Amino acid sequence: MAEYTLLIILFAPFVGALALIFVSNRQLSLVRGIAAGSAFVSLIASVYLFYAYDPLKGGYQFIQRIEWSRQLGISLHLGVDGIGTPLVLASGILLFAGIFVSWHIKDRVKEFYIWILILAAATIGVFMSLDLFFLYFFYEMSVIPMYLLLGMWGSHTKKYLEMTDAEGLKQRDSVGFIFNFGANSKEYAAMKLVLFLSAFAVAALMGILLIYKFSGLNTFDILVLREQAHFSGPLATLIWLLIFFGFASIAPIWPLHSWSPVGHAAAPAATSMLHAGVLMKLGHFSIIRVAFEILPETTRELMPIAAVLCIFSIIYGGLVAYYAKDTKYVIGYSSSSHMGYVFLGMAALDYISLSGAVIYMFAHAMATGMLFAMAGWVYDQTHTRDIPSLGGLSNRMPFISAAFVIGCMASIGMPGTVNFIAEVMIIVGSWNKYPFQVVVAVLGIVLTMAYLFKMMRGLFYGSMAEKYSHSHDAVTVVDRMPLLIMITVSISFGIFPGHLYSVVRSGVDPLIARITKVVPVAEHPMNLPHATSPTVPTSASHEALAKVTPR
Amino acid sequence: MTFSLTLSVSDLLLLLPELFLTAWLCVILIVDFSFKRIVQEQLAYLSILGLVITLACLAWFDVTGITGTLFGKMFVLDRMAIFFKVMILLATILVILLSIDYVHRFAFFRGEYYFLVVMSALGMMFMTSANDLLSLFVTLEFATFGFYVLVSYLRDDMASNEAGLKFFILGVFAAGLLAYGISLVYGETGKLVFSDMTGAAPTTGLVIGFLLIFAALGFKIGAVPFHSWIPDTYHGAPTPVTAFLSIAPKVAAFAILLRLFLVALATFKPAWALLIVATSILSMTYGNIVAIAQRNVKRLLAYSGIAQVGNVLIGLAAGTKMGTDSILFYLLTYLFANLGAFAVIMAISNAVGSDEIDDYKGLNRRSPFLAFAMLIFLLSLAGVPPLAGFIGKLYIFVAAIKEGLYILITVGLINIVVSMYYYLIVVKKMYINEPLDSSPIKTTGPLRAVIYVGLAGTLVIGIYPQPFLDWAVAATLMFSNLLGPAASIPVPVVPFGG
Repeated sequence: MAEYTLLIILFAPFVGALALIFVSNRQLSLVRGIAAGSAFVSLIASVYLFYAYDPLKGGYQFIQRIEWSRQLGISLHLGVDGIGTPLVLASGILLFAGIFVSWHIKDRVKEFYIWILILAAATIGVFMSLDLFFLYFFYEMSVIPMYLLLGMWGSHTKKYLEMTDAEGLKQRDSVGFIFNFGANSKEYAAMKLVLFLSAFAVAALMGILLIYKFSGLNTFDILVLREQAHFSGPLATLIWLLIFFGFASIAPIWPLHSWSPVGHAAAPAATSMLHAGVLMKLGHFSIIRVAFEILPETTRELMPIAAVLCIFSIIYGGLVAYYAKDTKYVIGYSSSSHMGYVFLGMAALDYISLSGAVIYMFAHAMATGMLFAMAGWVYDQTHTRDIPSLGGLSNRMPFISAAFVIGCMASIGMPGTVNFIAEVMIIVGSWNKYPFQVVVAVLGIVLTMAYLFKMMRGLFYGSMAEKYSHSHDAVTVVDRMPLLIMITVSISFGIFPGHLYSVVRSGVDPLIARITKVVPVAEHPMNLPHATSPTVPTSASHEALAKVTPR
Repeated sequence: MTFSLTLSVSDLLLLLPELFLTAWLCVILIVDFSFKRIVQEQLAYLSILGLVITLACLAWFDVTGITGTLFGKMFVLDRMAIFFKVMILLATILVILLSIDYVHRFAFFRGEYYFLVVMSALGMMFMTSANDLLSLFVTLEFATFGFYVLVSYLRDDMASNEAGLKFFILGVFAAGLLAYGISLVYGETGKLVFSDMTGAAPTTGLVIGFLLIFAALGFKIGAVPFHSWIPDTYHGAPTPVTAFLSIAPKVAAFAILLRLFLVALATFKPAWALLIVATSILSMTYGNIVAIAQRNVKRLLAYSGIAQVGNVLIGLAAGTKMGTDSILFYLLTYLFANLGAFAVIMAISNAVGSDEIDDYKGLNRRSPFLAFAMLIFLLSLAGVPPLAGFIGKLYIFVAAIKEGLYILITVGLINIVVSMYYYLIVVKKMYINEPLDSSPIKTTGPLRAVIYVGLAGTLVIGIYPQPFLDWAVAATLMFSNLLGPAASIPVPVVPFGG
């Protein structure tokens, strides 16, 4: 049974989606039950996977290999390493939470759950693919459900010139919408998202085809290519650039980010959660899986590109988030800003910083998932996302406002949440190589505080308009559970990061050793005390690291 | 040149599918004339019965490996011919199912309609076996002949008449080019059979002759710059005929193109590869860009068809065994997606009475099944995983990248994104927009059957393509000794046991 864990995680949502096709839309509870049930199976299996993954052994585990096409050299080759495992867990948690967040959807419920299950399953598929073909297959497969989810259940965003503050005065147009050409419909957002992602995806596909041709191995298998394929010179640079920018567009790195906040704003809550929580991580993950694994030398030479671009990601995203007046735009831009930290952690090519980046992906999935879920709740209750016109909602929704504060704290990186550990690791790990970027990153944290506190105050404190006096708090189990799950995960891994850290390190270590050719001097992850206080692993290995990082 | 016309029983066996279908054609006609009370539905099922028996016969040939040539190599029955014949028969069966409801719109000659469809299918079956220039000309004209009538079958409809006239004039012009090209080639080489021509000296006359033949075949497949008849003819023709026209003649013409370029002209590959690359780039780009502006779904599919042909030509430009496999495989995926899409179009046009894309608004609320089917077919045409079209496109790209056709692949990849836009516009109308008229749409049994076949083909090939790939690979084994080492089946190295 255990060896089929990956297949269960991957196919449970697909089976659920397939079963839903044969259920009538009128049997509402059955529809929800099937969706929640299949997501639950996937979640339980991914929790099992996370704890059954053996960090001492490391490498790829739970491997499944099913021959798919002899002529093309493709097999459905699944397996997870220390980097994929936490991301699979995050997808499982967010899918399960997303099913409950969208519990109150009224229109075409069955179709909604079908598409969201397919979306989540496709993202999970990317995190466990060990075959370039299937990596692309699942990657591209996750795009079309986004189109339908945004288009059918999304909401129009207001034209920003028409947006008014509490006194009815026109607000200043913020810089983020210059490139929007005044089009703020959900159809526009959906089409932009699909075309943008597809355009860059085919660039990545070109890179994959070039790898296939010039490796001369007639296989798409990442493990074979990693061992046997060697690329050098301009060809390697070209492939690396195609792969990097092809996948970085979904991450989204500045300046390829413009589809993302628009998409967030138009999407229904559960879709935003999956989009920001896991879909964006497909970019980082695919870069690690393809570029880092197959082109280690080129990665070492070219990764400074990411270090430069991440500065703009962090600052630009943060500034736009500060000036934006739509809750989902704020969270959307904050996500693209925070993804800059992940790029910084990846760019430093260091044991600590890359582990930090991977943990950050997991942490960000929880934090941003919470925020989007609650932004969705506020929108459902008040039918607006315009921050200046909202206020004082904490009287009406004490639970939501308390959870929102926790979500903001997690997003900022308060000690006690897993985000803190990740941020510290990224900052400490990249200090030797990129001190300037670290300064920017710390400024970015200040900026994060500024815009999140601003939004928090704007939504929940101050005076409340009369028309919102009928809004409700989340009181039922169904409404509270998704938030509680994400909060619990975020805090418990913040206090007990031991297993998460050792799992991630077991995936990061061989990768960085290959790229930098520097053996980790820091203690083996298992030698660390098992549930130490959050700062210990980072500071302990920091000194060791200073000796080994190449200057 | 003398033909020995003494046919043995084993020779006749090779012709069995065609002979049987010819006999069945007479049966259809006789039944139509003799039984006054017979209704056209019964004739339709009678035709399908004949086609299915022919299909079974071909399947038997494929399994037992019966192959051979006849009439001094004029007629060849090999695995590739069988593959193409199966595709044509499959398309014809689906088209007849599509027609059953539509035929009520014809005022006259309802019975003859099926006769003409099956006759065209017979012509195209011969076309896939044509192995010299004479049989190429005869079979191609025989196949087109039925279409001239079919396209203008709506006698009182101006658009249908215009379509027929346009198709006829341009078709006859193409036939003239073909005949002239054949005469030039024969004059230069003194040979008619493709396989005898290999190694002929490339004189000016020969080059012009082959260019003219290519132009005539380009007209059949609708590649740019020979595409001008396609949009109007597709628009005006009765919809089942459009569906037939959009797949079967292309399939048959590709059989001839493969034999012509990979057998007769194999030695000049560097020269003609350039020609094919140019045609392919033009077709893809033109088809996709113009499709964006379309308001009528039949015209949209006409232009998308031009672009799809451009995609198939990538495989021909590769010119290897793998390229040939990819063409066969791609045409198979195209068949299911395209005929399925036409089935949905017909179901909607039966209910709404028009083919405008705006009439697809809110289809998801009116008929979730039709909207879902159309979504799958359009996404398969666009090449989105996990549907058949994606595997087809990927196979073609892999075949091409092995030959180093980087520019062609880049253009092809960009075109995927462009095509996604207009397919998604239809998806947007179906799923996102609200319906103008919310009455549910009913579909009839035959149309449903076609949609189910299309869905099954698109999904099964997309999720588990191995048997179909194997079939395509086995069908083109004849090219493996002609064209280099790419034919060998690679076996990837397994890194570790499990």
